[in-house]
Amino acid sequence: MERVLALWFPGRSSEGTTGSELRELQHALEVVAVHCPFVEPLRLGLLALPARAPSRFYGGERAVATLLGDLLDDAGLGPVRIGVSEGLFASVLAARDEIIVSVAETSAFLATQPISVLRRSELASLCQRLGLSTLGRFAALDEGRVLERFGTDGVHCHRVARGSEGELVGLRDLTISARLALLDEPPPPPVQPSFFGGSSLAAERAAKAAIRLQHQLGTAAVSVARLRCGHDPGERAELVPFGAPEGRPVSSDPWPGSLPAPSPAAVLTKPLGCRLTDAQGAPVEVTTRGLLSARPARCTVEGEPRTLAVTAWAGPWPVSARWWERRAARARLQVVTEEGVGLLLSSERGAWQLVGRYD
Amino acid sequence: MFASSTARVRPGARPPLDPELRRRATPVVPASARTLPVGSELARLVPGGSLRRGTTTLISASAGAGGTSLAVGLLAEASKAGHWCAAIGLADPGIAAMAELGLDLRRAVFVPRPQAGWAEAAAELLEGVELLLLRPPARVPHAAARRLVARARDRRAVLVILGESHHSWPLPVDLSLSIEHSSWQGVSDGHGRLASRLAEICIEARGVPRPRRARLWLPSATGEVAVLREEL
Repeated sequence: MERVLALWFPGRSSEGTTGSELRELQHALEVVAVHCPFVEPLRLGLLALPARAPSRFYGGERAVATLLGDLLDDAGLGPVRIGVSEGLFASVLAARDEIIVSVAETSAFLATQPISVLRRSELASLCQRLGLSTLGRFAALDEGRVLERFGTDGVHCHRVARGSEGELVGLRDLTISARLALLDEPPPPPVQPSFFGGSSLAAERAAKAAIRLQHQLGTAAVSVARLRCGHDPGERAELVPFGAPEGRPVSSDPWPGSLPAPSPAAVLTKPLGCRLTDAQGAPVEVTTRGLLSARPARCTVEGEPRTLAVTAWAGPWPVSARWWERRAARARLQVVTEEGVGLLLSSERGAWQLVGRYD
Repeated sequence: MFASSTARVRPGARPPLDPELRRRATPVVPASARTLPVGSELARLVPGGSLRRGTTTLISASAGAGGTSLAVGLLAEASKAGHWCAAIGLADPGIAAMAELGLDLRRAVFVPRPQAGWAEAAAELLEGVELLLLRPPARVPHAAARRLVARARDRRAVLVILGESHHSWPLPVDLSLSIEHSSWQGVSDGHGRLASRLAEICIEARGVPRPRRARLWLPSATGEVAVLREEL
């Protein structure tokens, strides 16, 4: 897992009446980016950067933390709390305590944290009733039992608590880059990414081109892909800004209930609403028993004028996130249109959405 | 002695170049440095069995017919071999599918929505990557296309254009792969799942007089891009 340095600005984690928190975050980002170009905003009052390269350049993690703390104090952006640890989640916790946690100490550090740091109130209250008040005690549970009891998100939290996954889903505010872009500030000063030795000349060339492009189009417009765990093709991968701290490579363990390959080559960032009807024009739904109410014959996708004729379909496959929920909240359906196009639909509370195209 | 020395040399094999002669000769760029590899199956279809650096390839397919899969399949081998690639204008990339097709995500840069800046983004990234997959907007100005083709030639990169028809790119290309028809297998009335897709493709290459047609698994039931066996 990667060493991550997190910068936390206490008291600026939520937007006040003047909106100064967002501008201050932008300012802090510019100050840090002069020395650490791969710094990334996570949410209001929180920045993170990969620590390895700058710490080699500046002579240690402590030196980088001191340098950044001084610079931010000088810029009038203090107080700032800085921490370094393995992975994004542990480093944010380390920043609260203003400590550098070594690789060897990370799991012990995580184990002492209260269960509430996972930011899952339902899971936290259930754990507390079971007497599992710390991450360490939660991490000691068997993963299979966790899946039974807490569903797939619970397994993710469990892996984070064990330290086998570095980034907690929900830690990032996904809107923060867009909100910063709206501030319409001039781009951060040009940086020399070649300091932070790419693994090769080719990697360095690619990084330089990508960073130049980020200055033109915005940080979030140029991304790299990362695989994650999840049921749906959309959950199984994400695009993160180029240069963002690296998450741990996802284990190739099969994820329970995910669709087998091939996955759709186009996954809609924003799923489109669609209508699935039978030959008589009546809507087709997923029944409580997880079957289709009728044979689908036509599909109309929001914003597309043509109605597609459905010639074949497979599914529905329920996505049961939690076993105790009587009804599957979601189900997926593959349909093939007259033109031979394969589509992946998802049904949630009676409404269909187009989530992917097998292009 | 005569017999033993001939036995060691394969029939038809050239004797190695005299080291002294090699030292005095001016080396040319070897063939392996002029091309980027493609997977062994697609290599049967493209002239020379590889992607020539500095050239432009057009992949045309109607929406949903498999153009993205074919494009990613074409780049996968070079990506696995350590070359960087970028994808511009694929607004909704299916990352999991790309990984399944063999693309190495560690060396892939995505610019899903470059908006009006697509040509500048492509020119910029051609400075940094060796394979560029570009889905341009509906109408591409001649001048922008010429600049990018020249940049790709200059940087010795491979430019792959993904469009819906031959008209998606206003200039002649070095290699054109078009999907004329495709159909999914393995799925019927509520049974099975989308398992494999058979695509009929037409291959035209500069300097090759007649177009060639082939049927391709895109992907096969085992997840690979593969030429239908009976075609071989």
